[in-house]
Amino acid sequence: MAGPSAPDKGDKPDLLTAAIFVGLGALGLFMGWGLDPGSLAQMGPGFLPRVVCLLLIAVGLGVGIPALRRPAQAIEAVRLRPVLVITLAIVVFAYAATHLSFVLASLWLIVAGSLADPGGRWTHTLLLAVGLTVFGALVFVYGLGVQVPLWPV
Amino acid sequence: MKAFTALPLAAALSAGMASAALADWPTDRPIEMIVAFAPGGGTDIMLRTLAPFLEAELGTQFPVLNRPGASGEIAYTALSQARPDGHTVSSLNTPGFLTMRIDRKLRFDPAEICPIARIVEDPGTFIVQPDSEFQSLADVVAFAKENPGAVSVATTGMGTDEHLAMLQLEQAAGIDLTAVPFGGANEAKTALLGGHVTMIGLNVGEYATSDQDSFRALAQFSEERSTLAPDLPTAKELGYDVIMSSERGLAARCDVPEEIRTRLSQAVDAAIADPEFQGKAKQQGIPLSYQSGADWSAAMPARLERYTQIFQLIKQEQ
Amino acid sequence: MSFIDLLMLGFGEAMTLQNLSFCLLGALLGTLIGVLPGIGPTATIAVLLPITFFLPPLAGIIMLAGIYYGAQYGGTTTAVLVNLPGEASSVVTTLDGYQMAQQGRAGAALAVAALGSFFAGTVATFAIAVAGPTLSSFALSFGPAEYVSLMVFGLLAATILASGTVLKAIGMILIGLLLGMVGTDQSTGQDRLTFGAIELFDGIDFIVIAIGLFGFSEIIANLERSGSEGVTLAPISRLWPTRDDFRRSWAAVLRGTGVGTFLGLLPGGGATLASFSAYSFEKKMSKRPQDFGTGVVEGVAAPEAANNAAAQSSFIPLLTLGIPSNNMMAMMLSAFMIHGITPGPTVLANQPEIFWGLVASMWIGNALLVIINLPMIGLWVKLLTVPYRLLYPAILLFCCIGVYSMNNRIFDVMLAAGFGLVGYVFRKAKCEPGPLLLGFVLGPLLESNLRRTLLIEQGDPSIFVERPISLTMLIATVVLLGLMIFPAFRKSRQEAFQEEEG
Repeated sequence: MAGPSAPDKGDKPDLLTAAIFVGLGALGLFMGWGLDPGSLAQMGPGFLPRVVCLLLIAVGLGVGIPALRRPAQAIEAVRLRPVLVITLAIVVFAYAATHLSFVLASLWLIVAGSLADPGGRWTHTLLLAVGLTVFGALVFVYGLGVQVPLWPV
Repeated sequence: MKAFTALPLAAALSAGMASAALADWPTDRPIEMIVAFAPGGGTDIMLRTLAPFLEAELGTQFPVLNRPGASGEIAYTALSQARPDGHTVSSLNTPGFLTMRIDRKLRFDPAEICPIARIVEDPGTFIVQPDSEFQSLADVVAFAKENPGAVSVATTGMGTDEHLAMLQLEQAAGIDLTAVPFGGANEAKTALLGGHVTMIGLNVGEYATSDQDSFRALAQFSEERSTLAPDLPTAKELGYDVIMSSERGLAARCDVPEEIRTRLSQAVDAAIADPEFQGKAKQQGIPLSYQSGADWSAAMPARLERYTQIFQLIKQEQ
Repeated sequence: MSFIDLLMLGFGEAMTLQNLSFCLLGALLGTLIGVLPGIGPTATIAVLLPITFFLPPLAGIIMLAGIYYGAQYGGTTTAVLVNLPGEASSVVTTLDGYQMAQQGRAGAALAVAALGSFFAGTVATFAIAVAGPTLSSFALSFGPAEYVSLMVFGLLAATILASGTVLKAIGMILIGLLLGMVGTDQSTGQDRLTFGAIELFDGIDFIVIAIGLFGFSEIIANLERSGSEGVTLAPISRLWPTRDDFRRSWAAVLRGTGVGTFLGLLPGGGATLASFSAYSFEKKMSKRPQDFGTGVVEGVAAPEAANNAAAQSSFIPLLTLGIPSNNMMAMMLSAFMIHGITPGPTVLANQPEIFWGLVASMWIGNALLVIINLPMIGLWVKLLTVPYRLLYPAILLFCCIGVYSMNNRIFDVMLAAGFGLVGYVFRKAKCEPGPLLLGFVLGPLLESNLRRTLLIEQGDPSIFVERPISLTMLIATVVLLGLMIFPAFRKSRQEAFQEEEG
């Protein structure tokens, strides 16, 4: 959706919106291509997905085309550190909880998650990690019966 | 997706120690019971009720692990990847376990999963409103002959027991019904009470525990009348060849040593013979019907054959 | 027996020391799990169900019911404090509640929510007592066709939730609908839009999307904006609502209660529809709709009253017909059946102490919740003074455990992390995630009922205008659409002109 935008034209957040809508609509159409739309009396699994995707693309264009002509507006600056660190912390937590144990996963999540925001004191982070892990073990694993191994085996 | 490669408890022992563990089985570690449905479902409640009795029988714990999804495929996949040391069992449900192989590519090999014991057999039944003009199955058939497609039957989805029963009835009576899928038995019941569908398919267990004044059952789809509904005729007695029941039980991997599987089967037999358990089962409307793993396995090919034929009917309809 | 006698019988049953204690226990436990994101009342009750074997029937059921409505109270707390809706019904509470917290008025938001919920709970409880059987026959008159019209209306009303442009909100609803279609098609058993992943066969769970879009992406956005040092709230001016807050919220509470009691009756999406219909309604009624989403007290009062009223009135179909209207009620049904009680007209006649005891305990439970929650507000608000550096890892942990505990699998946590990234991109594109969630919740209901209607009618859509309830709702939809489109067009054209000139 780059479009021919002069430097002072183009509402970037709206153009991004349009790109998301049109992109997801196209993805949905592509994925649902093989699904049978059926008839009105015997509606198949492909009927509504197709309708929704086409509407989504239409709405995307409706958002995007006027945005090209509006005065320029920038997207807020992206800082990668929190995005990457938080996501990585969560993903590793999931594997660790299943294969290692709740205690290790929880310690990892809090220590790694804290790195998203540099400048904290290590002692604080470690205390927090231990405290929350004990709390989580008591409340979730013992108290609420979450099915996860507590200790590494 | 490697999500299921190792269950935590099953991973506890290294492979080399497996044979040594056999001597201690089952008291050395808990036996994990994978349930293929979410907490609170019929299978889940039944197995949670049974677990303490099994624990008393075998002297070890039976923690329940819910692995819901894909009508059981997720749980069976998890079971087939567990260690074959007799410390992991799972719930087993038909017709789901049998029908999923017919038109779906599975992520586990059904031949690797062996039944331990059948606990429940719950026949299907068709229900109408209490003030319905249809007094019997014959009334429905007669009406449907006159008005093809006008009788709507609420099911809980394509290929479920009710749907398969409906297809058998269509074939047996030469009629045309309209299947209307609902999200579950309760949604279907609501639609029936509101008069939005003509008829719904339920299991006898669900019917027996519902308010009897709100529904009228027409027939049950078993070979013999269920203990829960001794007064309800079977479809066979009425002259329609419709057999459909859902079974629930336990299974383990086939390469678990046979003596362990037999021991588990005996333990289930003893547990469900306990009068206290039977009392609880009766309250919850669970039609107990024990079968040993061997007998259950032996009965499966014939059922599979029947279901495969019915699935051909679905294909033809489309 | 007269109504008063029955009510006295109920209070007599509910006020025994044993039943009171279990009511309190349930309410406390419910508050706890409501506060913990991801851990829902359904899972908790499933775990506790076997314990109720050993309790007398009424005590067990009272406790489980307490967990259910207690969780509604608790869910508000996280929605207001950290912008995390634990359940579909608290999505709209985040819109104004979180803004109020940012302005140092978290205490006022929580107090209004608690008092509004108590009032709504009281009214709905009495509605059950007085008109239960009548109301349930109304619920039954909702067939597939009526649902379709209701969902169309609901989806359109969802666009009012967003404070940005209508077009973007519609786009987000459509994305929600699309996400709701992921999984096995109910009618044909075919898997749709799953990328072949077996974990997606049953669709995506609401909690995964909510925690991703709200929980994770909020943390990322906060840290990105200014690091943890910069996440400071306005100083807490006062703990309690001002006279002005009360003046503005009482009518909202009344309307919310009405909407909630009514919609809570409907099986399936009823309770979810309740809170955001109440919000949309309030915004339409308001003289200053443009302020909604910036922290107005009515925006908290109306949906909170509605969701609590709906939580109570969703018991009506179960108690009077024996039919559970949602998963939660299905668990309650199991709890009854474990004790050999089959809810329905028969129980109402033969064992009135069960029905009336439960009804009375619900009112007592609501009163207990207010008594528990009002003093807790001070504590919760203190929580906001904890530095964000220490707070966000805790939120992160609770979210992760919550998502993991639903199906005990890695996949859900990964998916939630993915939705965290998606939510982050939405923020950059200035798209609000609220309408998406509602599209997601209502979409499957719309689709399955549309297909059912056309199956039953053999392809003839005229039923939608032939059935009076359905027709009424379709007319309301058209009117709402008209109200929305014309001012929106005028406004955006005016804006466009101003921008051109400027």
